[in-house]
Amino acid sequence: MRFLGFLLRRVVGIAAVMIGVSVITFAISHVIPADPVAAALGDHATDAQIAQFRAEYGLDRPLPEQYLIYATGILHGDLGKSIRTRRSVADDLADSFPATLELSFAALLISIVLGVPAGVWSAVARGRLPDYIVRVLSLAGGSLPVFWLGLIVIGLFYYQLGWFPGGGRIDTFVPPPPTRTGLYVLDSILAGDLDALRSSLVHLVLPAVTLGYFSTAVIARMTRSSMLEVLGQDYMRTALAKGLREPVIVLRHALRNALIPTVTIIGLTFGSLLSGAVLTETIFSWPGLGRYATASAVSLDFPAVLGVTLLAAIVYPLANLVVDVVYYWLDPRIQHG
Amino acid sequence: MSYRRSPILFVIALLVAAACTQPPPSGASSTPQATGGAASTLVWYADTSDLISLDPAVAYEFTGVLLAHNAYETLVKFEGADLSTIKPALAQSWEIKDSGSQWDLTFKLRSGAKFASGNAITADDVVYSFQRVLKLNKSPAFLFTDIAQIKDTSIKASDASTVVISLPKTASPQGFLSVLTFTIGSVVDSKDVKAKESAGDSGSGYLLDHSSGSGAFVIDHWTKNSEVQLKANPNYTGSPKPALGGVLVKHVPESTNQQFALEKGDADIARNLGSQQITALQGKPGVVTTTGNSLQLVYVGMNVTVKPLDNVNVREALRTAIDYDGIVKDLFKGGAKKVQDIVPAGLAGYNESTPFQADVNKAKALLQQAGQSAITLELLVPTGPAPGGVAWADLAAKLQSDWKNIGVTVNIKQTTQADLLGTYRAQKGQLVMILWGPDFPDPDANVGPFTDYAAKSIAFRNGWDDKTIAAKGHDAALITDSAKRAAAYKEITDYVLHNGPYVVLYQPTEPFGLRSNVKGFVWSPMDWTDFAAISK
Repeated sequence: MRFLGFLLRRVVGIAAVMIGVSVITFAISHVIPADPVAAALGDHATDAQIAQFRAEYGLDRPLPEQYLIYATGILHGDLGKSIRTRRSVADDLADSFPATLELSFAALLISIVLGVPAGVWSAVARGRLPDYIVRVLSLAGGSLPVFWLGLIVIGLFYYQLGWFPGGGRIDTFVPPPPTRTGLYVLDSILAGDLDALRSSLVHLVLPAVTLGYFSTAVIARMTRSSMLEVLGQDYMRTALAKGLREPVIVLRHALRNALIPTVTIIGLTFGSLLSGAVLTETIFSWPGLGRYATASAVSLDFPAVLGVTLLAAIVYPLANLVVDVVYYWLDPRIQHG
Repeated sequence: MSYRRSPILFVIALLVAAACTQPPPSGASSTPQATGGAASTLVWYADTSDLISLDPAVAYEFTGVLLAHNAYETLVKFEGADLSTIKPALAQSWEIKDSGSQWDLTFKLRSGAKFASGNAITADDVVYSFQRVLKLNKSPAFLFTDIAQIKDTSIKASDASTVVISLPKTASPQGFLSVLTFTIGSVVDSKDVKAKESAGDSGSGYLLDHSSGSGAFVIDHWTKNSEVQLKANPNYTGSPKPALGGVLVKHVPESTNQQFALEKGDADIARNLGSQQITALQGKPGVVTTTGNSLQLVYVGMNVTVKPLDNVNVREALRTAIDYDGIVKDLFKGGAKKVQDIVPAGLAGYNESTPFQADVNKAKALLQQAGQSAITLELLVPTGPAPGGVAWADLAAKLQSDWKNIGVTVNIKQTTQADLLGTYRAQKGQLVMILWGPDFPDPDANVGPFTDYAAKSIAFRNGWDDKTIAAKGHDAALITDSAKRAAAYKEITDYVLHNGPYVVLYQPTEPFGLRSNVKGFVWSPMDWTDFAAISK
């Protein structure tokens, strides 16, 4: 029961966040001086076309009324029509979101797989060469701009060495797997299509590494500091005194405790990966949400921008909810606290 | 949490294993494609984020128009890059008749012409297609309704292979022929489209991402935000027959990425290269660069409702002070052509005269005649790159320094294009730097907006109300004799050159990167190419 109450409080919180986000985004996008009609219809539009456009998108109505229409639409699952693509925003999001989700999952996977061991290694080898290497790489990961890193990665691994493809989700001449989830890797496995699986995995590597480098650095640093803290505890000395071997102490006793703060960071990271995908997607021609958001923002396509914002507003707290649940389950003190 | 035993490890192992495997070269496609694979597929890299529909009655964006142009035929066409002579396409001949109260244009269809479906093309298909444009009334429809002023009832089939279209006497028949070369004049397969109609949408749901035409190619698929695949139409009755099995248009927004892919041979043609990438590609093996013409003009509008821009000598002084050669040669390095009149090179009516080039003394004398010495004005400039690849801001800085030489101080105000257009439309700019491209390939598409205040377009935005020249523009549009029409436009453009409120700065060119085995590529200033003429 205690857990259900905990879950319920979180879900109500998410709903409140969504209402807040929709009101604020809607207000901001409608009070900025730029005119979406001028952006959509361009230089040549006649006054009659402009008036017709305003009427079609309800832009000729008072702002509160526009919001009411919009909010009612959302409750019916209708996110409005994109000014740029002239399609339903929900359809556009359904097209581009899986690509971003796949990229973010891959980036997260890379950050966990590289970040956690690097942090452990660095803590265990504190003050020695491996520690310095990990710390320098983490510092670089936290400070290199994604755009620059992406171009360097493409320049080196695609252009110079030719080890990986330079962009896109799948090889030009490999047909994508039939859509079930929209995640190419998963869809290829479901369809048993090995060509598509190999191609989509290879295409994931460079963008996922680029996108995941920052979070790898964050996870490595967090793991290192919490490992150092745990390794200094009395029970570590006890374990050592009992004659346990070092790998067992580090991996079984220290890591388990040190991972709790790392899990929190992973949740936060996932949300930021989704929003940080904008530049990565542009550089790697990745047909995801980030690129959709950029294109929409540039053309002042407010319904689309609102749709993306709302989606982010759902995903971010959801990721944190998952972390909270894991946390709740990992750390008994929360259950009783 | 024992991460060592996690199933994640399995996935990682899979990922690493796959990553270590070299992707096969594009040529060794493992899966047979509808187009005959990589060897006969042209891979075209471009930023296609503007693509919203492949329906010729809806598309009015660069990518949509490029693709629709290759999937449909029109009654008449321009061939290659030449926009001065209209040639037969689906219509083997046509006739313009002055019927007193209206113009009657009669088109005779080419015999034996077929759609990709195998259906014969009849006059009914033409009537259906044009009426469909009017019914849907999307972005390009104004070319029919406003420019040609046609209605549903203006389009008739007099027999199975003859179409008669009537225009009011206020519309230009030559202008209408030019409109018909554009994708809006595409003829769709009415039997096929009617069968695909849903809820009275005139088939626009289907034609959004399919084709139903008689062009050299058909749309195979459009994967949103990724690619559009065209494949050769086996029933194509026009010429030349496509040399390629297919064309794959890939959405690649980053120009550096386009450059890399071209060098690696993954792309055959790259569409959006900047001056940096073009420079980097020089001398690279297996790659050539080329340029195509565009019909755009980059100009500064001078609002004559703002003093002292109401004085014709001040405007002439501002035009005279600018170093056009420096802009074209040093700033754009070949990405622009020196053009100073309001009709771009490539269109009938283009005026080759370029009388202005950084004459400081003459400009100062003109200011003196106008009784002006120290002038301060605001120059509105868009953000981002100007056509031709140089930042708008850099171009503005060049103008600022040229004008400073004659004692004119210009304050640059940079803003988004959408915002700038708002100010410009409301006649609230002083000096506004912006571009213009004609709506259809006819001199009237520029002369009208640039001279007719009542059209509420460019002349209006600059407060320039010269009824004499507007009337001459209207008359010239209606002339059917080519030589007489050219003479009329020469007179108009000469007049605007020295009296209008415009400083035409340059006409941009479009850079392309090609693999050196790509042959037959010709860029039309209509912003498309005929894929059928390309081989590799």
